[in-house]
Amino acid sequence: MTVTVSASGLTLRYGGTRALDDVSLSLRAGVTGLLGPNGAGKTTLLRVLATAVPADGGSFTVLGHAPGSAAGRQNLRRTLGYLPQNPGFHPDFSAFEFVDYVAILKEQTDRTARHREVRRVLDAVDLSDVRGRRLKRLSGGMRQRVALAAALVGEPGFLVLDEPTVGLDPEQRVRFRELIAQAGEGRTVLLSTHQTEDVAMLCHRVIVLACGRVRFEGTPAELTARADGRVWSSAARDPGARAGWRTGAGTFRNVGDPPKGAELLDPTLEDGYLLTLDDPDGAAPAQQGEAAA
Amino acid sequence: MSTTTMPPAPEVTRPPADGDRPWAAVLALARFEARELLLNIPVLVLLVLYLGYTAYGLVAAEQDGMTDYPVLQNADRASQTAPQLVALAVLLCVNHAVLRSRRHGTDRHFGVLPLQPWRRTLAHALSAVPLAGLVAVVVGAEFAWAASKPGAVGHGSLFELVVAPLSVLLAGVVGVLLARLIGSAFAAPLFVVGLYVLLAVFSIATSGSDPHWLRWLSPVVPESGGDPLPSGLLGRPAAWHALYLVGLTVALLCGAVTASGRRTRTVAVVTAAALAATAAGIAGQSPGDSRDLAAARETASASPETVESCTVRGSVTYCAFPEWSGRTADWAAVVERVQHLAGDRRDRLTVRQRVEARYGLTSDAALTALSGPGQVTVGTAWGGNRIPEFAVGVASVLVAGDEQAASAVCDARAVTITWLALAAQADPMSAFVHVRLDDRTEGSGLVLAPTDPLGMSAGETAMVRALLAKPREVVSAAVRAHWAELTSPKTSLARVAQLLDVKAPEKEDSRDACEA
Repeated sequence: MTVTVSASGLTLRYGGTRALDDVSLSLRAGVTGLLGPNGAGKTTLLRVLATAVPADGGSFTVLGHAPGSAAGRQNLRRTLGYLPQNPGFHPDFSAFEFVDYVAILKEQTDRTARHREVRRVLDAVDLSDVRGRRLKRLSGGMRQRVALAAALVGEPGFLVLDEPTVGLDPEQRVRFRELIAQAGEGRTVLLSTHQTEDVAMLCHRVIVLACGRVRFEGTPAELTARADGRVWSSAARDPGARAGWRTGAGTFRNVGDPPKGAELLDPTLEDGYLLTLDDPDGAAPAQQGEAAA
Repeated sequence: MSTTTMPPAPEVTRPPADGDRPWAAVLALARFEARELLLNIPVLVLLVLYLGYTAYGLVAAEQDGMTDYPVLQNADRASQTAPQLVALAVLLCVNHAVLRSRRHGTDRHFGVLPLQPWRRTLAHALSAVPLAGLVAVVVGAEFAWAASKPGAVGHGSLFELVVAPLSVLLAGVVGVLLARLIGSAFAAPLFVVGLYVLLAVFSIATSGSDPHWLRWLSPVVPESGGDPLPSGLLGRPAAWHALYLVGLTVALLCGAVTASGRRTRTVAVVTAAALAATAAGIAGQSPGDSRDLAAARETASASPETVESCTVRGSVTYCAFPEWSGRTADWAAVVERVQHLAGDRRDRLTVRQRVEARYGLTSDAALTALSGPGQVTVGTAWGGNRIPEFAVGVASVLVAGDEQAASAVCDARAVTITWLALAAQADPMSAFVHVRLDDRTEGSGLVLAPTDPLGMSAGETAMVRALLAKPREVVSAAVRAHWAELTSPKTSLARVAQLLDVKAPEKEDSRDACEA
């Protein structure tokens, strides 16, 4: 599959802190999950890729457009759909007006075509019935869907979603998963999230970022596989485990290096993620495998 | 480095077709913002207030007949003040709209959208264009309405007419610039209040006589108050002022564009051109009245006969400034009605149009009474109260011989003059109320005339009121029959009562200024 977004050696400092430290990645069509703890640099990476902030070093291209020149940045922005972490809203605008406004800022100039497109994306996020309602009268979940519609308007080739499901109830999260899955058909989506379930269910690729560095890049299955043979059950919390918690069944689920004879459990993507964060050398087997290939 | 491989070359895609049309996007955004602006409550309220005020002005003025005879060189600039309500709303609401993204936290999101901030700045400025256009239409309609009146005289100026819409555009640009320079919603209201306070303080400090150059820095300089002047005597640098407003608007817009991050050679060149136009406008409008203008005003004020053209109708010669030559028929109608009531007298009269232009447009200096026999003054304003006032002037000269003599008449002559003037009106009692300075028909008071007012005692007033209650032709016949006595300074009020068959006053009036 063709690489649509590629970054090489991206570096960004905030004062003395390295928010991004030599980040390289390549994305293809479909949904790529971006996992990482708070402060890992996920939002910073997305803001750099969305051209909201320039990187101190390194380079990247989106669909062949590099942001180095004003013209390149403009062309890149024309291919971009961006849903920031805390998108603001104009409370007195209706859902239709807000998305229409964003469509204009995306240089959609033909009024008839633009309005058709706005109706299409509002329909896609299931907000057709409330498109005339002012944003201040919509629920948080509905407003988040309006923001997604605004990101989708104009059929951008690269969609950047920064924790879009934060604050949503389970039903809304499921609805959002559907929308993101649809959005990922035929376009490149980079989805930053804390929800490993979202990544497991939506993403064909996953990137783990920690302390501004890429700690893993591969498929969700490869990330899960990192925990093969490293999850076990015990009657009490194993002091040698890197993480352990009591399950609903009353036994403890431990993650780490199991003792001999331990009752091994099937790992989840979350287990692989936890172990990747704890991996002191930051080795990324999937990448190494890719390099070998 | 986190990875060891270089990604393969990405696929290059063309941006969307619409992306090639940023200027079309500017216009689309301007349309969007213009609609938002028009639906803004302050804009709607002040727009309705402006339209209501304009409509009320037309209707209310219609009722007193003043707008039946508009002077177009006054009508053009009369349309400049009221639209400042709209300009105020535009300044505040455009500023509010520019700050919308910052206020609601969408600036981070919208910052990565393709339409650049400087183009958005332009779009916000352009959003004021429809309101400026609406003001232009209202101003144009107001002026066209005035110009279409059969009694319209004079010449309007396109440069005066464009001031109101230009000031609306300027207000919009100021709102945009303030938002780009100061990201606070309080900046624009504070700017408006600060400007008002500054102007008020300056006006107090200069006792309202601020220098000409400074006064013309204001977007609108209405200069109203005095009687209309011939258009050649206005001395208003309207074209320079329009250039100043255009230059200032474009210069401030360039400032806003620059503040939005657009610092190109083109912007620099346009800014320089706009500043040059502004400077040229200021230079052109600053010098004040020229010597030639002062001389022309002196001539028109002191010896109008040198610049007027005259026409003769019967025994009366009517002399008017060239722009008023079409109004002599209206004057003649009044003169003929008064002459008829006075027994179809055919005294030789000269109706001379006069104006006091030496003190400028805002001066309401009174015209001095003429001493020449048969000379009647008529002003440049007409309609409403000006008609019975002129009738008083005509009757005064018919009765007393000249205006100066008429200013000190009493008893029989005061009653005769006032009755002749009022009986010539369609509604004499209403005219009596309005032609009196105190708007009363009882007691002593002053009766207005084009030059000096005529003093009336309480007895004279009562007698005129009684005469106006009698049939006009009956009184007219008596006036005709007793003209010599009624126009004699020696005839008492008691005698007048006898002659005109009305009740005599119970006691004689004591008048200081009554002639012997």
